[in-house]
Amino acid sequence: MRSWFTARLPLAELEAAIRHKTVPQHRHSIWYYLGGMTLFFFLVQVVTGILLLLYYRPSSAEAYDSVQFIMTRVPFGWLVRSIHSWSANLMVGAAFAHLFSVLFLKAYRRPREVVWISGVMLLFLSLGFGFTGYLLPWNEVAFFATRVGTDIAGAVPYAGDTIVRLLRGGPDVTGATLTRFYGVHVAVLPAITTALLGLHLLLVQYHGMSVPPSVEERAKRENRPVPTMPFVPHFALRDLFGWTVALALLAGLSAFLPWELGHKADPFASAPAGIAPEWYFLWTFQALKYMPAHVLGIDGELIAIGAMSLGAMALVLLPFIDRNTARSRTIVTWAAIAAIAFMTTMTVLALTGGH
Amino acid sequence: MPIRGHVPQSDQPAGRRSVLNWLLGTWSAGVLGAIAFPVLRYLVPPDIPEAPTLSVKGGAASTLAPNSARIVPFGSTPALVIRTAAGDLKAFDGTCTHLACTVQYRADLEHIWCACHNGHYDLNGKNISGPPPRPLAEYDAHVQGDEIVLSRKA
Amino acid sequence: MTGAWRIGSVAIACGLLAGSITLRAAGAPGPQAPAPAVKPAAEAFSDDVHAKAGLTCESCHGPKKADGGYAAIARVAIAPLCARCHADAAYMRKFAPQVRVDQYAQYQTSVHGQQMAKGETRVATCNDCHQSHGIVPVRDTRSPVAPAHVAITCARCHADPARMAPFNRSPEIFNEWSKSVHADALLKRGDRSAPTCSTCHGSHGATPPGADSVANVCAQCHVREAELFKKSRKAEVFAALGQADCLVCHSNHHIAPPQASWIGLDDKALCATCHDESVAGAAVIKSVRKGFDEVLAAIASAGQVLDRAETAGMLVEDGKLALHTASEAHVRMRVLVHTFTAPPFDDVVKEGLAAAGEAQAVGDAAMDELQYRRRGLAVATLVILGFLATLYIKIRRLPKVA
Repeated sequence: MRSWFTARLPLAELEAAIRHKTVPQHRHSIWYYLGGMTLFFFLVQVVTGILLLLYYRPSSAEAYDSVQFIMTRVPFGWLVRSIHSWSANLMVGAAFAHLFSVLFLKAYRRPREVVWISGVMLLFLSLGFGFTGYLLPWNEVAFFATRVGTDIAGAVPYAGDTIVRLLRGGPDVTGATLTRFYGVHVAVLPAITTALLGLHLLLVQYHGMSVPPSVEERAKRENRPVPTMPFVPHFALRDLFGWTVALALLAGLSAFLPWELGHKADPFASAPAGIAPEWYFLWTFQALKYMPAHVLGIDGELIAIGAMSLGAMALVLLPFIDRNTARSRTIVTWAAIAAIAFMTTMTVLALTGGH
Repeated sequence: MPIRGHVPQSDQPAGRRSVLNWLLGTWSAGVLGAIAFPVLRYLVPPDIPEAPTLSVKGGAASTLAPNSARIVPFGSTPALVIRTAAGDLKAFDGTCTHLACTVQYRADLEHIWCACHNGHYDLNGKNISGPPPRPLAEYDAHVQGDEIVLSRKA
Repeated sequence: MTGAWRIGSVAIACGLLAGSITLRAAGAPGPQAPAPAVKPAAEAFSDDVHAKAGLTCESCHGPKKADGGYAAIARVAIAPLCARCHADAAYMRKFAPQVRVDQYAQYQTSVHGQQMAKGETRVATCNDCHQSHGIVPVRDTRSPVAPAHVAITCARCHADPARMAPFNRSPEIFNEWSKSVHADALLKRGDRSAPTCSTCHGSHGATPPGADSVANVCAQCHVREAELFKKSRKAEVFAALGQADCLVCHSNHHIAPPQASWIGLDDKALCATCHDESVAGAAVIKSVRKGFDEVLAAIASAGQVLDRAETAGMLVEDGKLALHTASEAHVRMRVLVHTFTAPPFDDVVKEGLAAAGEAQAVGDAAMDELQYRRRGLAVATLVILGFLATLYIKIRRLPKVA
């Protein structure tokens, strides 16, 4: 039976490759699990997303009612929907944690630059998933958050209005926006993500796990190779352990902190007080609030967007900016700490109603 | 560069290992079952296939005589389904726009009336007399077979 | 005195009289009611509906006097002056084809009109309510006789003890009305259909409705209650007693939200004003009260459990619909009280209890479902924990790596 498959598919080669894969073991090995954790949450999103697709209706007249239908009448619909919403947030959190752990452990160094770039792109894609998916229930909070969020793109000079029109499918947030966001959320982003994720994972297998500079130098000093553990079964079973804990966490959150639906969106009503985007956008939202209206004659919002775009570009090109000297790596570490401090402070300020 | 390690054979007695593996297998089956059960139940569509806030059944068409009406629930509010004297089918949100009482059809007046404060609406839902400040929202009413189906106006 | 002196002194007396009447006509308001902004007449007239129709100062005041001013109009002459046009159907048709022309005729039947005809000038006439120079249509929200302002306009005199004393009328009515459900509806909720002074008393024909017509006045909106009351035993009893129907229980101006506690034979109840245990209807009174208490309690309890379920994240639309039905049954019960018999009332009590019971059931089911989900989660978590424990042992027992 087995031989029928091995004659037609490269199973033997795959099995050999997996059996030979090892994972370095050292003080910082714990961070290696974050990538897989992000992947786990993504897979949960794919499964629950497909299930939701079976009952969801992407039109402004029916979207809200269909989500309510899922939550009240479809057996375990409440569970699928709550898991989808919670897992989205946990995925973005894990992605950020994964990014920063890779950054601090300098795993973006040669020859892993392409892995890094594809990873940063995947982070941006997950933010895109979050932004587009948020609108789909067509409730009050999502409608106004989307309006505010897409407004910001209008600050870009010359192309601003066109960008906003492209995003919204029109000058305002309407049913056309919902349809567009739906198409992006279930087709465009998944297609791009599948390709990039495939590349990312393939390259990780090809290059193996990176060892942080400090561990490398210590091994060189003591003239000992870095200890490793086999991927199968040692690392894989630990990975499975983490994934199962995450699954239990998702189930618990869904039962005790179910995701709210709120009120149906009414485009003609005025925005309720306290509209804010999801937590992973809060820091940008708050930072924009602090920008003065004009700085040296240039629109304050535009400066903030420019700064964030520069930051994003620096992030993407990090492997080329860091010269891989001890000093250069230290600068990157401290820059990352400063960035985390800034983002955390902005988020806390946003949550505590600071202005 | 990936560093290859040497993996020795397991040094446990064979029996212990297989008991553990069996336990692991059983528990994993349990976990997979705990995942599969909700997913499979989810896939089976519920008895009411569509949200009752998008379209509802308005009862049998043949039993609704001309110049009479009935009240059916639509979402969480009542809907008034009328068969006019001329035989046309009309349906409205049955919540009076004055103070939210449920309106009724008056066969003697051949239009809609609210008993609470003597509000009157015509057969287009327009408020024609009394306190109501706005017309009644109209629903689409179609007949499928012998069943009246109400849906929100597009 | 010589003839010249006589004429002169009469002229001076007339002038003084005219002056004092003019001052009176300007209508200095009482201390309680808000004073209208007093603009110079010419300025106010520029915004006047009569100016827009092409009328001028001369149209009402006659030609300009030698000193450049216009003659004041005596108070008793005001209504006939306005009626010159406003009672002329052919004339008014030119400006507003559908407008009524019976205002003066109505005024003459009113208490104000009758007093004015006798020469008593301390009562209202046209310009006291409509103003003299900045007259805007009733529909205009600035008008002192727009629905939201009518009561305040009437209160300028009717809430002033000094003005009411000579006529032996209570100045408390405006305060009483202000506490009523009608004032609440009109002023707080902005419901322009809610009754104000003129709705029940008439505007031009303002007269307190007599005891036998009160029920008809209330029946303008409260049709069902009036119908049922007229068919009930109370109608003839009250007629025989000479009591105004609705007022006995509901009062005329301070109309408060009706309470279930009004019904009963205890001291606080209204029925006890006339009835006691010995009367044949005592059983009905008690059963009606019991019906209210039971339905209200059922609605409150169902409402509570539905709220709890919703706060816990359960969606309970069916339950809310049933609760809405139960609340409507309660409203119908309040209407059917006016039959003062058990049969139709008891049926609605049963309906209300059934609907509230349904709402309660939905709420309870939602809470049960919540418990089921948490129990299901507990089971799933136990299975996962068992798996994790076994996996942990497996990981620990994996062969050590060099």
